[in-house]
Amino acid sequence: MRLKTSLLKEPKHILFICVGWTTADELYSCSDDHQILKWNLLTSETSLVVRLPENIYPIDLHWFPKTVGGKKQTQAEIFVLTSTDGKFHLASKIGRIEKSVEAHKGAVLAGRWNYDGTALITAGEDGQIKIWSINGMLRSTLANQGSPVYSVAWGPDSDRILYTSGKQLVIKPLQPSAKVTQWKAHDGVVLKVDWNSVNDLILSGGEDCKYKVWDSFGRLLYSSSSHDYPVTSLSWVPDGEVFAVGSFNTLRLCDKTGWSYALEMPNTGSVFSLAWSADGTQLAGACGNGHVIFAHVVEQHWEWKNFVITLTKRRTMQVRNVMNDAVDVLEFRDRVIKASLAYSHLVVATSLQCYVYKNWNTPLIFDLKEGTVSLILQAEKYFLLVDGAGLYTFSYEGRLISSPKFPGMRADILNAQSVSLSTDTIAVRDKNDEKVILLFDGLTGKALGDGKPLTHKLEVVEIALDQCGPSTERKIALIDKNRDLYLTSVRHLGREPKICKIGETMVHSMAWNDAANILCGIQDKQLTVWYYPSVVFTDKELLPKTLYIKDDSEFSRAPHILNYVGTKVTLRQGDGSLVYSSVPPYPALLHEYSASVRWEDALRLCRFAKDQSLWACLAGMAMANRELTTAEMAYAAIGELPRVQYINFIKEQPSKESCLAHILMFSGQVQEAEATLLQAGLIYQAIQVNIDLFNWERALELAVKHKTHVDTVLAYKEKFLQKFGRKETNKRFLQYAEGVEVDWEKIQAKIEMELSKEREKAAHASVRSSLAS
Amino acid sequence: MAKDPLAEAGFYFDELNKLRVLEPDVSQKTSELKEECKEFVDKIGQFQKIVGGLIELVDELAKEAETEKMKAIGARNLLKSVAKQREAQQQQLQALIAEKKIQLERYRVEYEALSKVESEQNEFIDQFILQK
Repeated sequence: MRLKTSLLKEPKHILFICVGWTTADELYSCSDDHQILKWNLLTSETSLVVRLPENIYPIDLHWFPKTVGGKKQTQAEIFVLTSTDGKFHLASKIGRIEKSVEAHKGAVLAGRWNYDGTALITAGEDGQIKIWSINGMLRSTLANQGSPVYSVAWGPDSDRILYTSGKQLVIKPLQPSAKVTQWKAHDGVVLKVDWNSVNDLILSGGEDCKYKVWDSFGRLLYSSSSHDYPVTSLSWVPDGEVFAVGSFNTLRLCDKTGWSYALEMPNTGSVFSLAWSADGTQLAGACGNGHVIFAHVVEQHWEWKNFVITLTKRRTMQVRNVMNDAVDVLEFRDRVIKASLAYSHLVVATSLQCYVYKNWNTPLIFDLKEGTVSLILQAEKYFLLVDGAGLYTFSYEGRLISSPKFPGMRADILNAQSVSLSTDTIAVRDKNDEKVILLFDGLTGKALGDGKPLTHKLEVVEIALDQCGPSTERKIALIDKNRDLYLTSVRHLGREPKICKIGETMVHSMAWNDAANILCGIQDKQLTVWYYPSVVFTDKELLPKTLYIKDDSEFSRAPHILNYVGTKVTLRQGDGSLVYSSVPPYPALLHEYSASVRWEDALRLCRFAKDQSLWACLAGMAMANRELTTAEMAYAAIGELPRVQYINFIKEQPSKESCLAHILMFSGQVQEAEATLLQAGLIYQAIQVNIDLFNWERALELAVKHKTHVDTVLAYKEKFLQKFGRKETNKRFLQYAEGVEVDWEKIQAKIEMELSKEREKAAHASVRSSLAS
Repeated sequence: MAKDPLAEAGFYFDELNKLRVLEPDVSQKTSELKEECKEFVDKIGQFQKIVGGLIELVDELAKEAETEKMKAIGARNLLKSVAKQREAQQQQLQALIAEKKIQLERYRVEYEALSKVESEQNEFIDQFILQK
């Protein structure tokens, strides 16, 4: 990925200038020569909008935000212009100054609208930061310090601001009582800051010639090496994937993790301000020598299986099949904004249309309502487009399938970590309450089940839906703020779903396989593969045995998983290099056998591979499918004798219901097991289950409720207490002990009777069913 | 010789026998003086012209010398700044080289990872063939 820059031969301005985009192809620039110029990139024309009064020397320019919370702004397009005489000016698109407001002593160094377009913030040489209403009425003075504030930025929810204070950075919430975060950021004066609303990361650049990336708690994520000249400008691309850094004769394109994609050295002088267009494809920079530099990103790569696609020009892509070196060239009418390649389909969003390629000759083309697609996610049968206004799923035939909606939706700040797509489900992390995950049916766009979202106990930072298997068994993996990895079921009947923790230590990144429900993640800098994560629902203790940990995969700082296709995991390391890791192909085969109920083949595969983790997976799969014989063999193979015994015990159960109940017991679902037994009228068995678990209270409750086996419960409890040399203290037990006589022989007889009754009933049922068939 | 009464009265005849009040000698001398004066004025004029030309020439020369001097100064300054320019250019190239080096390192890591995957896959294939 690199920047392609273009400069005019002659500068159009003199000296200090500032720039701002209106649409993706129109830029306004303003300079010390009192001119406001309009640059149209489509026609490459430059025209004078207006000549400002002689006393206005502009410093900063910022357009009023176009879309607010997915809705188009109705307000006339205006921009704020700050100047050296301590005023800021609100100007319309035709350049008429609607209002000038005396704001600061000395120059107004920065002026920024918030994301909702409800407030304006200005920072001045006098060290003050002031908040204004949109028509220029002073609301409050937020901060007052001794040194000039060079730069200011809004937080993602517009409830906090970030500003510079000498060598320090300060995050100040708008609420007066809230805590202020302040830290030393650079060794020199901090000149510029930016805060991205999608990934919540902070950028800063200063006179110590470095740029740094921070998270919103002020933790340093990346610090660049020292440049030759101070960093004078920086800017996040709106979707937060990359950012641009400007310095003397220098323009750099960097990844959000800080490493640099490309360096350009145009003859510009210092780049004083940088601005990305709203669709994130064009960059404009205001240069110290009066030039306005334009740049766009080219040479992005997409890879899938044997295809490599490169964006060679703004409107041209090159497809290379590495198997036979065949090259195809794809041409587009408009600029490419986003693209995605997966599931043998290429989806390209340009500024007006969406192209879907299956083969490289005949794309399917449909028009887009809103120009700026910010995210494309693909699943096997359809794909999801996210633009400023909402989420839309389209089939690969180009038909609109659904568009999920929810209250408080802000589609403009969704990214790949907060949205996940699978063949039948869409999951979105709620922005207003980050503990909540909203689930939608992919085909109808309606909320799943009873419409109640999934709620985790902590803030969720990353979600991922598994891609295979029936929709009833859809699982979602989530990483919370503590970096713990959890797994839970998406579709559940009635009860609250169980959210099981499957990561042992901090998990930094994760991805599901595209062809089997295998999860991989980075745990402690090691690549860990969960061969069969759902085992946590059937046999929790089996989970560590189904893991595959790549011992030699000591990655450098902060690796991030890009994808997991087939047996290949692609990761990007902290320094930007791509690394690959292969995973054995057996577990995927095992998943396939299990899904198609070919247990014999599965057993043969495990015997062939001689791998403990495979056996453990098979045990889990067989148990989940109630395939007891296979499960028994698999458990035997990994030496889990108690479980083998229990399976044998299950097999010996007289009736189907008892069998089922004990399988449920096996996976720790006690309540379900009890309910199954009670439903089948097996009261004694239900009581016995509770006795076996030393769940005395419940056992007694059941016995009393059904007026049977009260003595059995009491007898067992007494035996239990005797063994431990303790006295009965529970009042209820004491109360019932008075009225009931405990006679072991009688109890044994009663139990025997119950069991024979069950056997009889089961035999009867099987005869009946055989007669019926 | 007897005195001419006319001469005594201050009247003379010249060669053309015209009556004159000025002595012929004086008249002759006067005209001679006049001639000489004229000659002198002419010569002075000529001299002035020559000197003017000279001054002009010298001025031009001075101007040229001045421009040459400026040129020389400029060239000298340029020479001085070339060194600086080269330095800046070198710096720029160095930065670009550093960037490429980093990129090369990334590619090296990627290549290594891919080679490892290849060897793993070969191993797997071998194992698979042997076991069959």
